[in-house]
Amino acid sequence: MDIKTNNDIKSNFAITSLYNVIDPEIGLNIIDLGLVYEIDFNEERKDIVVTMTLTTQFCPMGESIVESTTQAMQQSFPEDKILVNLIFEPPWNQSMISEAGNTFLTS
Amino acid sequence: MFIAGNNSPIKNTSYKVVFPFYSYAALSFLVATILILNNTSAFTQHYFNPHTLAITHTMALGWGTMIILGASHQLFPVLIEGKLYSNFLAYLSFIFAATGIPLLVFAFYTFNMGLVAQAGATLINLAVISYLVNLWLSMSNSKKQNIHAVFALTAVLWLFTTTLLGFLLVWNYTSNLLSEDSVHYLSLHAHLGIIGWFLLMIMGVGSRLIPMFLISKYENVKRLWWVYSLINAGLLSFIFIFISSLKSLLYFIPIALIGLGVILFGKHIYQSYAKRIRKKVDEQVKTSMLSVALTVVPIIVLIAIILLFTTGNSVKLVLLYGFTIFFGWITTIILGMTFKTLPFIIWNKVYSSIASLGKTPNPKELFNNTIFIASAITYIIGFIIFGLGIIQTNILILNIGAIFLLITAVLYNFNVFKILLHKKK
Repeated sequence: MDIKTNNDIKSNFAITSLYNVIDPEIGLNIIDLGLVYEIDFNEERKDIVVTMTLTTQFCPMGESIVESTTQAMQQSFPEDKILVNLIFEPPWNQSMISEAGNTFLTS
Repeated sequence: MFIAGNNSPIKNTSYKVVFPFYSYAALSFLVATILILNNTSAFTQHYFNPHTLAITHTMALGWGTMIILGASHQLFPVLIEGKLYSNFLAYLSFIFAATGIPLLVFAFYTFNMGLVAQAGATLINLAVISYLVNLWLSMSNSKKQNIHAVFALTAVLWLFTTTLLGFLLVWNYTSNLLSEDSVHYLSLHAHLGIIGWFLLMIMGVGSRLIPMFLISKYENVKRLWWVYSLINAGLLSFIFIFISSLKSLLYFIPIALIGLGVILFGKHIYQSYAKRIRKKVDEQVKTSMLSVALTVVPIIVLIAIILLFTTGNSVKLVLLYGFTIFFGWITTIILGMTFKTLPFIIWNKVYSSIASLGKTPNPKELFNNTIFIASAITYIIGFIIFGLGIIQTNILILNIGAIFLLITAVLYNFNVFKILLHKKK
């Protein structure tokens, strides 16, 4: 799934760091799972908003995943304030999983 | 953690709340299997005897109820998309139950239904009231309610009805509170707990968790409402038939309603399984799904009991019925779900804050999967052999089955305490 962004260069760096955020139950990273919808860099306010979802609204690991996302981004962008915008519309579905993710889940 | 927008992730209940319940339940399972091994002869006699009562209450309260109380303090916030109202009430609930259960079990074992039994029953009711108030207030403060939470809250109301009747039955031994002796009300007390508490709670939580662990997007809220209505209608009709002292054949009405509810629930779980995204299903979810299938076994035994009511065979079938419920269906789902919930609770405590900063163990690595598989095998062997022992009324077969069940409990305890005592690597 394509992740929307307003800064392609910084976004590639962010995505690389978000590959380290693993959903502990599934064992797959949040990029391949398709949980990240958008990464918005605001140069004036010096903040980055990661718009993301969870596989289910009831995910008991949600707190951990959001916290890990913040940490991973903060490590890569120590000067910026990291904000996570958690949304459930559109709901996550299988079509959002990457090819690598699908191979992981169906093998 | 900074959140932009209106949504925030589910706030997990502290592991400190859950820890004592899981430990207590694991040890109770061990105690129950030791009691079984020491009292196999009780399973060749009438079901109303002190040792059978003690073992049944160790399993129903110490094992089944305590682990559900622990897990639900963690899972109820997930079901209501809110947070637990009070950790203090959760601790209070644990303290009351943890002191009340051994008193009641000891009283049954020695069949001293005086002060010790009364104190035990009172404490257990205080535990249930604390739990009920906590869940009720959590749900009142929550932004959303859903069918799973309705299942869970209704189950707790039935639990309170069960323990309240239990309380009256204990006092009835010394004070003649009720119109009949306590033995008369046993099946009412048992079914309020089995159907109202265990079945509804397991269905409510299972219908949320099993699809989630399978990563299945299957949803059918309408069917779950049907399941909920059928189970409750079945239980209410059972109470009516019991209180009205109607003909035993009329008990087929609640059996049909509850049986249909179970079949619909089984269909719901099967469709979640068929539409799963994750193809590989781990042993823990497989065990939990086996439990759904095992729900049918006590229903079949119950039908046989009603058909054979006038013959002597119904007595050992009643024992088999209780055994297939507490050591079959309920134990199977706990054996599976413990290792789908507890490792994540402890993982969250130990690794959540450092998860993205380096390699951390997977939650599944917090317990020994080989030991889990071994315990599942010894459990299935023990369950089948002990069940055969009840049918055959054979002490040797019962002893062999009891040894396998004891080994299961030892292996289960090993893994549970391995998780609970896990330190950062």
